[in-house]
Amino acid sequence: MTYYNNAVRTKRELLVRLIQLLDSEQLYDKIDRIPLEMRPRTNSPIRCCVHKDRAVLKYKIMASLGFNIADEVDELTPLKDYAKEAINGIDSNGKFLTVVDEACSSCVQVNYTVSNLCQGCEGRPCQVNCPKDAITVINGKANIDHHKCVNCGLCQKACPFHAIAYLPVPCEESCPVKAIKKNEQGIEVIDFDKCIHCGKCMTSCPFGAIAEKSQILDFYDSLRNKNRKMIAMVAPAVLSQFKTKSQNILSAIKAIGFDHVMEVAEGAAITTSNETQELLEHIEEGKSFLTSSCCPSYVDLVEKHVPALKPQVSHTASPMLFTAAKAKEQYPEHDLVFIGPCLAKRKEVYDTKKIKYVITTEELGSLWAALHIDPSKLDTIDGISGNINPESRGFAASGGVSHSILATLGADKNISTQLIDGIDKKSIKLLKAYSKKAPRVDFIEVMACQGGCINGPGNIAPPSLGLSNLKKSIAELSPEPELINA
Amino acid sequence: MTKPINFKIQICCGTMCYIMGGASLHSLKETLPAEIKDSVSIEGIPCMGLCNQPDAEHQHPCVLINGEIIKNASNHKIVKQLLNHTEL
Repeated sequence: MTYYNNAVRTKRELLVRLIQLLDSEQLYDKIDRIPLEMRPRTNSPIRCCVHKDRAVLKYKIMASLGFNIADEVDELTPLKDYAKEAINGIDSNGKFLTVVDEACSSCVQVNYTVSNLCQGCEGRPCQVNCPKDAITVINGKANIDHHKCVNCGLCQKACPFHAIAYLPVPCEESCPVKAIKKNEQGIEVIDFDKCIHCGKCMTSCPFGAIAEKSQILDFYDSLRNKNRKMIAMVAPAVLSQFKTKSQNILSAIKAIGFDHVMEVAEGAAITTSNETQELLEHIEEGKSFLTSSCCPSYVDLVEKHVPALKPQVSHTASPMLFTAAKAKEQYPEHDLVFIGPCLAKRKEVYDTKKIKYVITTEELGSLWAALHIDPSKLDTIDGISGNINPESRGFAASGGVSHSILATLGADKNISTQLIDGIDKKSIKLLKAYSKKAPRVDFIEVMACQGGCINGPGNIAPPSLGLSNLKKSIAELSPEPELINA
Repeated sequence: MTKPINFKIQICCGTMCYIMGGASLHSLKETLPAEIKDSVSIEGIPCMGLCNQPDAEHQHPCVLINGEIIKNASNHKIVKQLLNHTEL
């Protein structure tokens, strides 16, 4: 879930500028000027000085080009050289996040800090209760020795003046699987043996120091300059992200230069019917519960952190993969492009090798902005399939998968479902418990993002708008009233 | 009793404004204080073309209040502006 902030703005501005330069054939001439133009000397710097701000932008551009920032060999390599390489595609090695070490502010290692509310009282409960003897009183104020403190938090609880504040490290705090940690220099490093690409660290860092490796330049160059023919596969969550009708959104996607636009909801219908079949067989064979498999972050979570749960995860492929199979049948020569809100889809695409590019909703918005495509002015109906049922588009919101399965089964089957809405430390504990002792439920739907794909890390609209927009677009596309569970 | 509309708010719905924070403006209605709520009309308008001008950075999203341009608009900024006008 992203709350809009200036770091998000910077990321989008960089994307827009890169696309504009590529589109106007000035990429190599002007890419190294972007940091200078965006951070002119006259402005008051965000960090220590304008040069630091520019360096941060340079590395953020490297990430937008698809590079791993730690791979930098020579600090003097101009962005132009990176751009030339990026145009031909970069192997991500299956790692889609990179830490912009220049931007990482190396947030505190010790989470507790004494504020000036400290009264230097006689009782000194902070000092008395500290198990590590880390607190000394200097000039009438408590002081925490960072070498001794173990972050237990007792001092904070003990202080009646609320003078001790808890200062979180946002990326570490938001990571549900402890995959991000500081190195000796205090810079965050991601452990990809643990990372499930949920994107929570990326959206939580207010310095924008965790960046996703984008394919945007490679994609747009192939489309515009190499004349590759492409098919867009649009996730239903995309329809929830813009304040315009679905047919306008799909038409505007086509206007970027795609030969054809398909909705991933088409594949969702196949996922539903296969998963329903699998669930019935599962129950018949007495194999206890089944969980969904369409969220790639969840599938990765089971693989890396709850392997005992693997037999319960559905073997049905995701809507994206079914849609890709359909697209390949019709258009064997075309490159497939998935457009959606998801970071983990980049990993799923990398592992399954059926799709060429992943473009996030945020990148889609940046493409439109850069190319001056206004969806509200485009409504040549394209890609809207009358055969898609509302439940398939409902996959984008939490509860949508279960709802779709229940709708397929009809009222006569007595199937119980449970929703795990968002992967966090608590829900992982629950899943671990379920892997040891099966719950009394037939089907569990797991979504890494709370609220579902409509709150994915690559989205634009604030969470409050996503669900109402999705309901609206489903209603507008289907003759029947909307059917997703709120 | 219906109050007269004193403020006509037009939110730019161009994609540039939308991705640069304009998406949040679509919940403006819910953030309006009760005392001015009924005297405000809100509508979306197509891109005004401001994003094509030089020095356009840090000016999105754009909103018009009674025809006057508010740059770098946020719900908070709009409400503040409206309250300032009502006091006059």
